[in-house]
Amino acid sequence: MSALWQSVLGEIELSVTHATYTTWYKNTQLVSQSDEEVVISVPNIFAKKQFEVKFNDIIKKALENNGVTPERITYTVNVSGKKTRVNRETTLQATDGSQVLEAPADFRSSPSSRPSSPLTARGNLNPRYTFDNFIVGSSNDLAYAASQGVASNPGTKYNPLYFYGGVGLGKTHLMQAVGNEIIKKNPDARVVYVSSETFVNEFLDYIRFKKKGFSDKYRNIDVLIVDDMQFIANKEKTQEEFFHTFNFLHQNNKQIIMSSDKPPRSIPTLTERLRSRLEMGMTIDVQMPDFETRCAILRAKSEMSGVQLNNETVEYLATNIKTNIRELEGALNQLLAYAELHNIEPDISTAEGLLGNVRHSRPQHLTSKQIIDRTAKHFQLPVDEICSQKRDKHVVVPRQIAMYLLRSELHLSFPKIAGELGRKDHTTAIHSVEKIEKAIKLDFVIREQVAAIREKLYA
Amino acid sequence: MELSITQENFARALSAVGRVASNKAGLPILNNILLRTDGNRLLVAATNLEIATTQYIGAKIVKPGAITVPARLISEFVSSLPKDTIELKVVNDNIHLKCGNYTSIINGVIADDFPELPTINEESSISYTINVEDFKQAVSQTIITASSDSTRPVLTGVYWHSHEGQLFLAATDGYRLSERRLVETKSDVSAIIPTQTLQEVLRTIADTSETVDILFDETQVRFRINEAEIISRLVDGNFPDYRQLIPASSETSAVVNKQEFVRVTKIAGLFARESGGSVTMTVDPDKKTVSLHSIASEMGENTSELTAEVQGGGQVTLNSRYLSEALSVIDDDTIAFSFSGKLSPCILKSVKKDTNYYHVIMPLKS
Repeated sequence: MSALWQSVLGEIELSVTHATYTTWYKNTQLVSQSDEEVVISVPNIFAKKQFEVKFNDIIKKALENNGVTPERITYTVNVSGKKTRVNRETTLQATDGSQVLEAPADFRSSPSSRPSSPLTARGNLNPRYTFDNFIVGSSNDLAYAASQGVASNPGTKYNPLYFYGGVGLGKTHLMQAVGNEIIKKNPDARVVYVSSETFVNEFLDYIRFKKKGFSDKYRNIDVLIVDDMQFIANKEKTQEEFFHTFNFLHQNNKQIIMSSDKPPRSIPTLTERLRSRLEMGMTIDVQMPDFETRCAILRAKSEMSGVQLNNETVEYLATNIKTNIRELEGALNQLLAYAELHNIEPDISTAEGLLGNVRHSRPQHLTSKQIIDRTAKHFQLPVDEICSQKRDKHVVVPRQIAMYLLRSELHLSFPKIAGELGRKDHTTAIHSVEKIEKAIKLDFVIREQVAAIREKLYA
Repeated sequence: MELSITQENFARALSAVGRVASNKAGLPILNNILLRTDGNRLLVAATNLEIATTQYIGAKIVKPGAITVPARLISEFVSSLPKDTIELKVVNDNIHLKCGNYTSIINGVIADDFPELPTINEESSISYTINVEDFKQAVSQTIITASSDSTRPVLTGVYWHSHEGQLFLAATDGYRLSERRLVETKSDVSAIIPTQTLQEVLRTIADTSETVDILFDETQVRFRINEAEIISRLVDGNFPDYRQLIPASSETSAVVNKQEFVRVTKIAGLFARESGGSVTMTVDPDKKTVSLHSIASEMGENTSELTAEVQGGGQVTLNSRYLSEALSVIDDDTIAFSFSGKLSPCILKSVKKDTNYYHVIMPLKS
């Protein structure tokens, strides 16, 4: 019976357009066949009407060609054994009721992560950051292990604990997880989480308004967590105050945890004595997660939102967003929100449509030639002129901007920059880059021009 | 095909059916609107193979015929025209439209390719005629709790069914549920109407409509409002037997002023954004109060209280958005709610004697 229908469909597929075939014929079946009647099931009411009115002759002909000539052909809508209209009251089948209503998935967080104690005691910690929802991979297993060590033995094991790495790699998550874990074990522990900027601001207030209690606030605690240490560079007085706070806490075996985008030795203006102290505990590099970890993160996050993504989609996202977990989460959220809004499955094609722009906004191969060409074009100068020895003002500024962009976008060395623009002396390049760096802060026109060129480079 | 028609009627019909036209099913002609003469009327129709909407409008027919036109272009063109008579003429599959000084030629596609519009056999179907106001209220009260999760299709619609001689509407997304009693019925009905269909019907109802005619058969449903018709497929599957989940009695109950309750819910919701809307409701039998408490761990916290008629005390944690939405559809100045402890469902309804609606929210596990 199915062989007959397959042959009928095969014949029709050749004679109609692909869209027509997939829309109307694809999900049809032969239900029964006799000399009087052939019954065909179709997916919906629209198809039923369409077959009855428009396709009946085609079907009849195709059946004939296969040696079947029934007196009539009828079409039924394919329903899964269910009749919409029922005649007996009892037909409504009892289903497993306990499955019907449930507590929303979004809120099935573990009890520990819910705010339990009054606000102040948590010291600005975000309860959502816990060890349970931190995903461990080869890039961050050391950091994770050290954090757990610190959480179980605060103040003694690794003190201070110093994380460094790029943005959005989980440093804040780990630090806050340590804080939350310590509070969970010992609800009386005083944990303070600040960004170094807050620390600086509070210190400034303390000097300006002769406020009291600054040293008390930071010395009367058990765990001090400071995020984004790099902002403390250049601020000598604050560094000194931090240095004293640090010494006090460390001597009293209180735990200190810090993070920054660079290792202590690479923060240029950190005073020597503070640097050596930051390095005396454990310094850990948090790296970009590898492909597998990124996949695991996406799976965990999507499950948290109650959505199952297929492997293809997860791998697509993980392949295309490599640099930053925050961006990865952003892309995932965007995809889920879009899918929910349009009531569609979040699959790879949706992801491709949505993330096309994310991917293309980050060209992998920006070359120095592109930068020079772009700059020349922006100022409507020929490229040779920018690279020439001329010192007219209308050439000099564009040349300096080009040098600046080569430095800021490609991180080329100064001798290399000088070479790219036909200069022998790298000090010219140093001078140009510094000049534009300063000009950007002061001169609106230059700032606009640099932004415009940069935008075009990444367009 | 040649006819003349008023701009107002034509624009209204086009905008009403135009929303349905879409190429979701992958068949290009579904982007088009069908225009077909029918006696001395013009039929304007569109379908996405889940819903078909049709409008009949009066027209002066000179020469009968049928054609399809791109939905977006013709709707926007006609709605931009002044209020005047439009002359429409089809020449070689091109539609010539003339209205005062404005003339357009739009390329059409022959109507033969347009899917046949489904019809329903009125003899063998069950029909209801419902007052527009009741219909609108009942649908808006239930549609908000329908699910948008396509992995459980039976929950993506509103369940129309008969029970003990009454027609009921019910919908749930697994976290909340609503049920509305609509009219008396002698027939047995059990059908799940897709959310999108009901939204389309709500939009089609005009100020001048008085009743909605509904016709069910086994696989489809038809709504008729004045000259408009919407035919839709039904969701295939069995709706869960939700009645067994509604607790018959409860330990704690309170009667509150709706306006005040709406306000405290809104305020508590402000502080619950971080915690996913979680607000804790405490009923205090000694003080005769209901209080709502919410915490935003980095911003602050809130406690609001209102006086109430209280029976029994207790505490339950709910999603403030669900609570607000429930309050917004209950039609009364005073609201009764009841629950039994932290894990069983919380029921909200009006205190009117013959109340025909209730709303159930599952508590959050805290």
